[in-house]
Amino acid sequence: MSREALQESLSAVMDNEADELELRRVLSAVDDAETRATWSRYQVARAAMHKELLLPNLDIASAVSAALADEAVPAKVKKGPLRSIGRLAVAASVTIAVLAGVRMYNQDEITGAELASQQPAQQGLSVPQTQGPAVLAGYSESSEQPTGPMANGVLQNQAGWDQRLPGYLRQHAQESALKGNETALPYARAASLDNPVK
Amino acid sequence: MRALPLLSLLIGSCMTVPALAANSSPEASEWLNKLAQAEQKQSYQGSFIYERNGSFSSHDIWHKVQDGKVSERLLQLDGAAQEIVRVDGKVACVSGALVSGVKTPPDAAPRVLDPLKLMGWYDLSLAGKSRVAGRDAVIVTLTPRDQHRYAFELHLDRRTGLPLRSLMLNDKGQLLERFQMTRLDTDDLPTDEDLRASAACKPVEHRATTTQEAVSGWRSDWLPPGFELVNSSVRRDAARNSSVTSLMYDDGLARVSVFVEPVNDNSGIDTRVQLGPTVAVSRRLNTPKGKVLVTVVGEIPLGTAERIALSMRAQDAQARQ
Repeated sequence: MSREALQESLSAVMDNEADELELRRVLSAVDDAETRATWSRYQVARAAMHKELLLPNLDIASAVSAALADEAVPAKVKKGPLRSIGRLAVAASVTIAVLAGVRMYNQDEITGAELASQQPAQQGLSVPQTQGPAVLAGYSESSEQPTGPMANGVLQNQAGWDQRLPGYLRQHAQESALKGNETALPYARAASLDNPVK
Repeated sequence: MRALPLLSLLIGSCMTVPALAANSSPEASEWLNKLAQAEQKQSYQGSFIYERNGSFSSHDIWHKVQDGKVSERLLQLDGAAQEIVRVDGKVACVSGALVSGVKTPPDAAPRVLDPLKLMGWYDLSLAGKSRVAGRDAVIVTLTPRDQHRYAFELHLDRRTGLPLRSLMLNDKGQLLERFQMTRLDTDDLPTDEDLRASAACKPVEHRATTTQEAVSGWRSDWLPPGFELVNSSVRRDAARNSSVTSLMYDDGLARVSVFVEPVNDNSGIDTRVQLGPTVAVSRRLNTPKGKVLVTVVGEIPLGTAERIALSMRAQDAQARQ
């Protein structure tokens, strides 16, 4: 299939005007890095034309692929039921990855609650990033309850999180501000640690 | 025909090194060079705002270069009058909440923005022009090449290369912090009076370099590519009667600190906090030396901080020699 035909199909899919054949063509080519690059270029162009907020590097497709790659593939089993369980697991992890992606995708604003969503409330949660993008689904996003210690973005000695933390944050900000050439930005970060919310 | 994939692999592997830099535009890197030089050569005064989740503040800045020496004074205009004065590249005094028992690290070689180094970890490109603080600006974007750092968008003054706006964005395109000049004057030089510290600004002691022996008790098994150790120290915390080891790493742009402190059985809580651009992750680790609390603080994604925290290892005495 020619490159041009594929690009036309891509464009059609993006404009929501693709027929089934074109959709299939795009879906079968989407594993190709070049195709994905083209796709994201089109997205950029479209976002620019529509003056939409640009979300760089949002690539749910590769997040899904990564989740699939991480999925433990069940050993070859002759029996039917086990295999379907395996498939189910894969399907579930894809769903989680997609959901996580969509959930994050929809949070475009710097509302305080969302960015401060990693609350100490879920201290038990200790999933390192190495386990793949599906980890995102584990983050609590309780935007309805911005009552945590970080809700107002000011350092306070609050119960519930470690008393050492404010000192560490200050030391990091301060050492960043005191080192190196550019001072303004690290200094402003350091200063902002103690600014009450207006 | 069969040799074709092999051939392309061969060619591909030969091209990876140039391709690494090819993603970055030379113009963008030139502008970053201009920025690095402007900080060293250009005198200016102005005002800027800083905004992050939960905080918005305005500041004045005076920056004077005389005989190759850089003097600078920054003053917060709202709330507490936080102030920092640097003379000849060294911090002379800081004020307000900025002082909290932390002494200055011995100023190492000045950290200069190095586009060549940055290109390894970010794609540099020009993204058009804008107007900030009444001045024409070019937009330089730094897009991370992996998920371990944030993206930056810099608006640089077309005339001088000074930063007029700096935005930090996460991988979802959410704005984490904004630095923006509202007034920039590069014609009227700051006077000595402008640069004089106020009475509230407390002089900073420069402590002697901590010996390597005392410092290198900890190392990290894993760091995101490009991050290097730039500073390490051991600080005595009188209030808790414990010693805090701190290690600072940077990739030429983003910085991350790791703090290691011994704890007894019950104290120390696992915590994860995101404060605008800065993330803090605390984890308790069991080591041969006993329980410690490892805390990673920096302008990096949460998952990356978590991974660094998990990778901290005690360095035994033999390994050190």
